[in-house]
Amino acid sequence: MIKIKNLHKYFGELEVLKGINLEIEESEVVCLIGSSGSGKSTLLRCINFLETKTEGEIFIDGERVTKKEINRIRQKVGMVFQRFNLFPHMTVLQNVIEGPITVKKMPPKEAERIGLELLDKVNLSDKANEYPAMLSGGQQQRVAIARSLAMEPKVILFDEPTSALDPELVGEVLGVMKDLAKEGRTMVIVTHEMGFAREVADRIVFIHEGLIAEEGSPEEIFETPQHERLKSFLGQIIG
Amino acid sequence: MEFLKQLAASAAAFFSTVIEFAPKFLPGVQLTLELAFFSILFGMIIGLFVTMMKLSRFKFLRKCMNIYIAIIRGTPLLLQLYFIFYGLPSIGLMINSFPSAVIGLALHNGAYISEIFRGAIESIDYGQGEAARSLGMTKWQATRRVILPQAFKRSVPALGNQFIIAVKDSSLASVITITETMLLARQFGAATFNVFPIYFTAGVYYLIITMGLTKILARIELNLKINER
Repeated sequence: MIKIKNLHKYFGELEVLKGINLEIEESEVVCLIGSSGSGKSTLLRCINFLETKTEGEIFIDGERVTKKEINRIRQKVGMVFQRFNLFPHMTVLQNVIEGPITVKKMPPKEAERIGLELLDKVNLSDKANEYPAMLSGGQQQRVAIARSLAMEPKVILFDEPTSALDPELVGEVLGVMKDLAKEGRTMVIVTHEMGFAREVADRIVFIHEGLIAEEGSPEEIFETPQHERLKSFLGQIIG
Repeated sequence: MEFLKQLAASAAAFFSTVIEFAPKFLPGVQLTLELAFFSILFGMIIGLFVTMMKLSRFKFLRKCMNIYIAIIRGTPLLLQLYFIFYGLPSIGLMINSFPSAVIGLALHNGAYISEIFRGAIESIDYGQGEAARSLGMTKWQATRRVILPQAFKRSVPALGNQFIIAVKDSSLASVITITETMLLARQFGAATFNVFPIYFTAGVYYLIITMGLTKILARIELNLKINER
């Protein structure tokens, strides 16, 4: 589904990604872990061109991602941000149907029907006509997930989706993400929620200083970590 | 006692002059309103247009707009009005006084309004654009559907400020023979030598206009805030 070949990314002089090679299969749930500044968010953002890669190639659904084709390819890639980034001037329902109506030119009636279904799926159908500012962080993030689902993406990228949430709101967002994983959606998740990663991920990728230092099943990563850095990282996080 | 009597007499004279001249100002006030209205209307259109040009990917267009803004902001409005009305005829471009004033004021306001829009657009969180683009929107769709509606809302307070400045700046049109409020005041003053009550009356008219405008803008701001925290 996603194929990343020798990806390099510089911010000025600083090399953030130093040659990433990664393949993600359909229906696979991959969690990217690593300390802050390791490049995991940058990797995620490079996949749908929010950052322009310096070198290397990215294929999505068999297509090479190029600047020219990016608007079309982005429709296949959903993105959920750390700070939700809902559109504050639109109601919850309008947020969800904005993509289908503006990008896919879907008739508003049909988009609304689909939008309400998706809001039902994230347990927010009663908030359809509220504005985002009226919602809690957890509710906003669930709307953001529904908004990305509305484009029927082939893969969804999550960039630390629970890092901006109060602890008691993390569960509801992770719950929705677990449901998506069970449906067989392809997901790439940057997260610090190790319990969640262990439970949901098919594969865990540990990124250190711009390179993939270690990858494997949750059991391998958590039970028998090889890399010294991964050991100390897990030690710090799990304690 | 004598002093109080004198004070009462001069107050009575003052207010009788005010009452006598207040209605005579109305044609001038009407012109002030017309100048303000057109310079704000066309100023908004110019401002929006310039902002759009500055967002375009053509460097040449962006450069042109920057030059326009630099010239307008860098020279006095008084000079700009003289230039249009007295200067342009010497290269064969004759424009009547009222259109000259509207062109000058609108060009002036347009430059400032475009800067207001630019500031508002730049103040929108970049995550908004990223969210829109990641849905597959083109840059233009993201700008039109997501950025501009929020930026416009955020620009209202500064726009209101500019509208009030526009009302007051319209008084400069008096130097190119437009008999708006300020020129009338000067004429009445010269004819009667009784300048104090006459300038007082003119001032009250300006205050009425700007305070009315402030009220309207406050209401608009309140209505726009409805879906915010």
